[in-house]
Amino acid sequence: MLKFNKIYKQYDTPILGPINLEIEKDSFVSILGSSGAGKSTLLRLASNLIQPTSGSIEYLSNKKPNIGFVFQDPTLLPWRSVIDNVLLPAELTSKNAKLSKEKAFFWLSKVGLEGKENSLPNQLSGGQKMRVSIARAMAQDCSLLLMDEPFAALDEVSRNKLEDDLLDIWEKNKLTVLFVTHSVTEAVYLSQRVLVMSSSPGKILDDVIVTEKKSRDDSQNHEFFLKINHLTNILKKESDE
Amino acid sequence: MIKRFLSFLAPFFTFILLLCSWELLVSFQNIPKYILPAPTDIFSSILLNYEDLLLSTFITFRITILAFLVASFLAIFIAILFSQSKIIELSLYPIAVIFQVTPVVAIAPLILIWVGLDNAEYAILILAIIVAFFPVLANTNLGIRSVEKNLSELFSLYEATRFKRLFKLQLPYALPFILTGMKTSIGLALIGAVVAEFVAGSGTSTGLAWRIIEAGNRLDVPKLFAALILLVVLGIILFLLMSLIEKLLLRRWDFDKN
Repeated sequence: MLKFNKIYKQYDTPILGPINLEIEKDSFVSILGSSGAGKSTLLRLASNLIQPTSGSIEYLSNKKPNIGFVFQDPTLLPWRSVIDNVLLPAELTSKNAKLSKEKAFFWLSKVGLEGKENSLPNQLSGGQKMRVSIARAMAQDCSLLLMDEPFAALDEVSRNKLEDDLLDIWEKNKLTVLFVTHSVTEAVYLSQRVLVMSSSPGKILDDVIVTEKKSRDDSQNHEFFLKINHLTNILKKESDE
Repeated sequence: MIKRFLSFLAPFFTFILLLCSWELLVSFQNIPKYILPAPTDIFSSILLNYEDLLLSTFITFRITILAFLVASFLAIFIAILFSQSKIIELSLYPIAVIFQVTPVVAIAPLILIWVGLDNAEYAILILAIIVAFFPVLANTNLGIRSVEKNLSELFSLYEATRFKRLFKLQLPYALPFILTGMKTSIGLALIGAVVAEFVAGSGTSTGLAWRIIEAGNRLDVPKLFAALILLVVLGIILFLLMSLIEKLLLRRWDFDKN
């Protein structure tokens, strides 16, 4: 789906690199790392929002896919209703209004916001706002979903619910997800593959495949715990260094 | 509830108390009217001269609103130009600052000469526009620049055109800033209109500033106070009007909770 070839990114100091990485189509990949590891920079490079200092990014069939981006905060326009926020990308890309509206309603109901279409963002809870943000990304038929610590500001219950809903969306739609998080448990629970990044400059420190079955009960599972411990130890070691 | 009631009653009674003390002070001390007229004298003067004074209030109001609207339109337009090109901003911003820091009184004679002594109203209008212009420019500029990085990136992700970015993101985002600038600007437009009339004279129409000069020259201090009070009332009405517009327009804006 996506290939990073010897990517370097530098502002005043080197931020990232070298990154050599291939993200498989329809996979769910999490990126773990401490603050300043360049995780968000990696997502912005993947979405073409910023350009690498050197190296290149290749998309599958050399064609940039439809990309959805979910930021750490919901990034909603406060003066627009929920439905108008979901329709914003379609307006910006001048897509068919009727079709876009149908899709927007469909995705809002998918994320459990049926009946909230005409609410304003400030009438929603933090979790609901994030659901709008996900619906907005999905309503564009995105095949690559980039998520930058989307659930970091949510309480645990909302977070768990959103994680499950995200997995459901991923499983039912042909979708590649690149998910940045600070939480080891979240990364292991959600992903098929976890990338651990070192900081200054950000590099891929470890690439861990997660094969365990996805279920909340698995948190009691021995294998699940071992994987969490393994990743936590890598992060600890990295921060000690 | 009691707190709300008090917040209204306390200033009201303070004001009444102040007026009563003023009235008593003037009558007990026998202060002449041409030094300090009693509130009742001022009220009588308003009733006696209400036609002149209302007409002058209307003239000052008209110039203020016109100056305010032209200044706001120009300032928003120029701020939009700034947002589109850094070179335009770098070139024009210093000129805008020069206008802002130059006292209106100092440039009034020049403007008057340029527009002609017979067109004093135009001079007043131009001077009021100059005074009212900067707060809207500075605030709109700030508002457009304050757009959250993530929102801006969202628009970049969907390759929004400059036009769509401006009208769907930057200007709506800047609206609270623009309105704050306009709230300051409307008061300044009034001050500009009055100061300019003091300096430039009034031409054929007479605003409240001219009534103040005229009453001062004739030592008709009650009328002077009456004109002054109408000026204050006009200023308060304009401010409240802008606050109401701001409240109505910003019902949907709530950045903090988002």
